[in-house]
Amino acid sequence: MKNKRMFGFELVRGAAAILVALAVGTVFIFLSSDEPMTALRYLLIGPIVSLKNGVASFNTQGFYTILAAMIPTIFTGLAVCVMFSSNQFNLAGEGIVMVGGFVAALCGIYIHMNTSWHAVVCIAAAAVIGGIIMLVPALLKVKLGASEMVTSLMLNYICMYLVLHFLNYNFADRSKGSTQTYAFADTAKIGSMVPGGSKLSWGFVVALVFVVIVALFMYRTRWGYAIRMIGINQAFSKYSGMKVGGTIVLAQVIGGVLSGMGGGIEVLGRYSTFLWKELPGYGWTGITIAILAKNNPWLVPLAAFFIAYLNKGCTLMATYSDVPSEMIDIIQAAIFLFFAAEQFLSGYRQKIVVRAARADLAKEAAEAKGGAE
Amino acid sequence: MWSQLFDTIFKAEFLFSVIRITAPILFAALGALIAEKAGVINIGLEGIMMISALFGVLFSYWTQSWLVGVIGALVVGILLGLMMGFFSLKLKTDIILAGIAVNMMGSGGTIFLLYMFTGMRGNTGALVSPNILIPTVNIPLIKDIPVVGEILSGHSVLTYVAFIAVYLIWLLLYRTPVGLNIRAVGENPNAASSVGVSVLKMKYIAISISGALAGLGGAFMSMYYSQGWNSGMVAGRGFIALAAEAMGRCEPVGTMLSSLLFGLAQALRTKVSGLQGVSSYLVSLIPYVVTILGLVVYAASTLKKVKKIKVQKAQSEVQK
Repeated sequence: MKNKRMFGFELVRGAAAILVALAVGTVFIFLSSDEPMTALRYLLIGPIVSLKNGVASFNTQGFYTILAAMIPTIFTGLAVCVMFSSNQFNLAGEGIVMVGGFVAALCGIYIHMNTSWHAVVCIAAAAVIGGIIMLVPALLKVKLGASEMVTSLMLNYICMYLVLHFLNYNFADRSKGSTQTYAFADTAKIGSMVPGGSKLSWGFVVALVFVVIVALFMYRTRWGYAIRMIGINQAFSKYSGMKVGGTIVLAQVIGGVLSGMGGGIEVLGRYSTFLWKELPGYGWTGITIAILAKNNPWLVPLAAFFIAYLNKGCTLMATYSDVPSEMIDIIQAAIFLFFAAEQFLSGYRQKIVVRAARADLAKEAAEAKGGAE
Repeated sequence: MWSQLFDTIFKAEFLFSVIRITAPILFAALGALIAEKAGVINIGLEGIMMISALFGVLFSYWTQSWLVGVIGALVVGILLGLMMGFFSLKLKTDIILAGIAVNMMGSGGTIFLLYMFTGMRGNTGALVSPNILIPTVNIPLIKDIPVVGEILSGHSVLTYVAFIAVYLIWLLLYRTPVGLNIRAVGENPNAASSVGVSVLKMKYIAISISGALAGLGGAFMSMYYSQGWNSGMVAGRGFIALAAEAMGRCEPVGTMLSSLLFGLAQALRTKVSGLQGVSSYLVSLIPYVVTILGLVVYAASTLKKVKKIKVQKAQSEVQK
């Protein structure tokens, strides 16, 4: 009963946080735009509603595009969920997505296989490399006590520059105008689920499968339990005999594997060559998603959908009106701050708790009265 | 290649550039330090630097005065610090998440703000003119000394402020009641509040000073170092500052020395990338790799010390 009320409160609070963030966004739109209503329309309903001659219709392709944009961020969101659950503020997902994409692309170009397992091999390679990179901040934290946050932040830059170095000096296709690799083999590409240019590949299904796997891992295995327990109270976990060091490393390696995989699937599903020239930003989005999902893997797809929708809305708004798409960062930051704020609307929560307690007391009193008669 | 490199390094000009490059890192690292002393981890330094760098340029452009620009950047830094404080202390947002949010505003939000205020995208190229940049100063006596004068004289005003700030922060922390309270709050908040120190107030003071210092670092970046604001300008300096603070053992002088080390790494990067036949991407790695190595060395040495103390304690107990 009480839990149900608290859950309701969490929902209200989440919705309020999002509304506040959107309100902040709206204020900025009105401040910066000459045509705020057009901008708002594209931001809020543009992604799935297309207006033609005054008739609104559901934009199926637009919807697919949003789903496609969720693929990498579901993976990074899951990765951050696992790492943050163990209270490890590892932010290297960003760099590892890029490395994962690069490794998968290289495997797609230079390994020759005639089966559709080729793509699987590519993604597995990306995942393994991702896990290995994550060992660096994880082991430094566990063995030496170096802050995983600082090392992982530095690691992002190291990943980016290493990929750019190898891309430019070793694997570039010089016949093209821009810096990119050769095209990968057809067997390595991840096919599209739906016709049209939405880039919604089968990677989406894989992402959903991993949502289930990670959720089961976190809530139904003892490793997942250990990860969550360490996040709640590390000293207690150690006292009760859990292998704290090993579990912390495990959580971060899983984060690395998921991020690497996300990068690999994104590159193989969306492009035909590797052409990222800077960090793609999916790692940071993953953090927002994990915050929105409250580190609960089951909620990650929902959060990823919301962010993808907002992102698409911002892009459309930038295209069809005069508001720059970077606006999304301000909205995201506001969501971030309010969503993670434990005391946001705490007065309201207090009221709910008091009301619940009163109701319980009244019920007990009534029962006691009934018993006495 | 190596001889070429040595030629450029062993010159007064190189050491001059080390000091120049160190200044913004030092500002941010001192900001990290004072927050850390009060028990607040400020990872929003990067974002605060970006935002106040932008406002520094805007304010100085609007008023055509560099001083107003610098003060504006400082105030924006304080406001952002207070905002982080409000969310983390009042609304109980995790301070690390609040920091990430500020960094988000810094990376994308600034581009939006720039567009909102000026209609420009990505950089402020057209706004900047020499008269709104931070002026340089020649120090009267020192500038006449050979070599030393070349290294120490002729820096911007803010460069000197950065190094004076090291002393000021030390003074604040170890010679004033406020500093004592800040340290007490960071060390043991319960003990501090039991003797009547307001924990919240001290944390707010610390994080706003932290924001102010990062704001000055931002102003230095846009109004002197890169002579204008552009979107990729701070390039992780806020994060490097966190490492510098950790390596400097959270002490002002130590932090200054480690900031100088990272400044050296950055300066080396610029020098090496000028040489032929070197991958500019690998060279760009230098500061970040040095940061991780620095952290490793620092962490390893701390661990050794802790072990040593433990062994000594155990031995003395055995002897009893």
